[in-house]
Amino acid sequence: MVEYNKPLPNMNGDSKEFWSGCKAHELRFQKCKACGHVRWPPSIICPMCYSKDTKWIVAEGKGRVYSFAVYHVAYHPGFENDLPYVVADVELEEGPRLLTNISGCGGGEVKCEMLVEVTWEDITEEFSLPKFKPRC
Amino acid sequence: MEGNADDAVFGHFGAVAGYALAARRAMHTFRTGPETWKQIAVGQRKWANLNPAATLYDRPMTFEDYYNARWIVEPFRLFDTCLMTDGGRAMIITSAERARDLRHPLVLIMGMGQHNPSYDVHQATHLAGPTGAKKAGEMALRMADITPKDIDACEIYDCFTYTVEITLQEYGFFGAGEGEDWLKNGTLEPGGRMPVNTSGGQLSDGYYMGLTPLSEAAMQLMGRCGNRQLGPVTNTKSPEIILCSDNGGILQTHSCIVLRRS
Repeated sequence: MVEYNKPLPNMNGDSKEFWSGCKAHELRFQKCKACGHVRWPPSIICPMCYSKDTKWIVAEGKGRVYSFAVYHVAYHPGFENDLPYVVADVELEEGPRLLTNISGCGGGEVKCEMLVEVTWEDITEEFSLPKFKPRC
Repeated sequence: MEGNADDAVFGHFGAVAGYALAARRAMHTFRTGPETWKQIAVGQRKWANLNPAATLYDRPMTFEDYYNARWIVEPFRLFDTCLMTDGGRAMIITSAERARDLRHPLVLIMGMGQHNPSYDVHQATHLAGPTGAKKAGEMALRMADITPKDIDACEIYDCFTYTVEITLQEYGFFGAGEGEDWLKNGTLEPGGRMPVNTSGGQLSDGYYMGLTPLSEAAMQLMGRCGNRQLGPVTNTKSPEIILCSDNGGILQTHSCIVLRRS
């Protein structure tokens, strides 16, 4: 694998399950067993009802673009060759909003509310990133 | 508050792109975009051209210059973004009684309000409003016992052009999507009916965080602003009351303060 020169995820006790899921090409989120709220980012307590009773679910990977920004400046050298690239806030059907990239189409084609689905980018032995592409 | 360190994994860094996400959502939610923001960028530059201390004092700008500038993070071009400046501003806050013995005219605090939606930008539902400005503005106006009609000028925290639009909109100067019409024909410029960011603001004067708007409001009310002084010099109303704003994070914290000439 070519040397990967972009920042890597900072895996911690809260996010380990999420990033392990990504490695298996699964989008794993915590769902509150008390009120049903699916939350992101991961935490020990439900931000809606404060219950600690939680299970992990696998999201289907379908959502829509809530908003997006097209970068024309690289604030890290690892992104210089990607310019212009799209950072988007994608709202998944299960509820959580994920900061991610839109691939498979140019910045001019992305629209708010556009339907997208997950596509996996295997970046290192340890990590795969969930990115999104237009849904056919 | 800037929160998720994993933003960088997806190439997401800093404030420009956070506000770009907010502005893009606003473009989807109500009528706004470069046609609105150019009025703010160009209008504020006209004030800077009257302010010898402003970073861009000797750099006039046209709508064409605005559109010809490079993209930074779409939908923001270069002149939608504030300056980066070294420097400082300071203000002395004291009792009205003590201030009366000082050399300059007295400026009084009439009202203030704060509201902090605080969500991380990706989870935020307030990017296109209601932002913290809504409640903070209502609190400040209620404390001051005035309505927006009583305000003579505004000094608005302007990290980006969109920030000025959404703040004025939330304060009730115009309805959602009416900014372009409200701003056109020089509303906020020298000679305009509601002067905004009369030093040039953070877009064209200098970035001193909340002190750019606040110090300018105090200086204007004291009558110490030379060629950009509100009143006959700039063919605007002589100011009695000026509204100021400050905000932080990606529209996550907001303060509003109303100042009055004694």
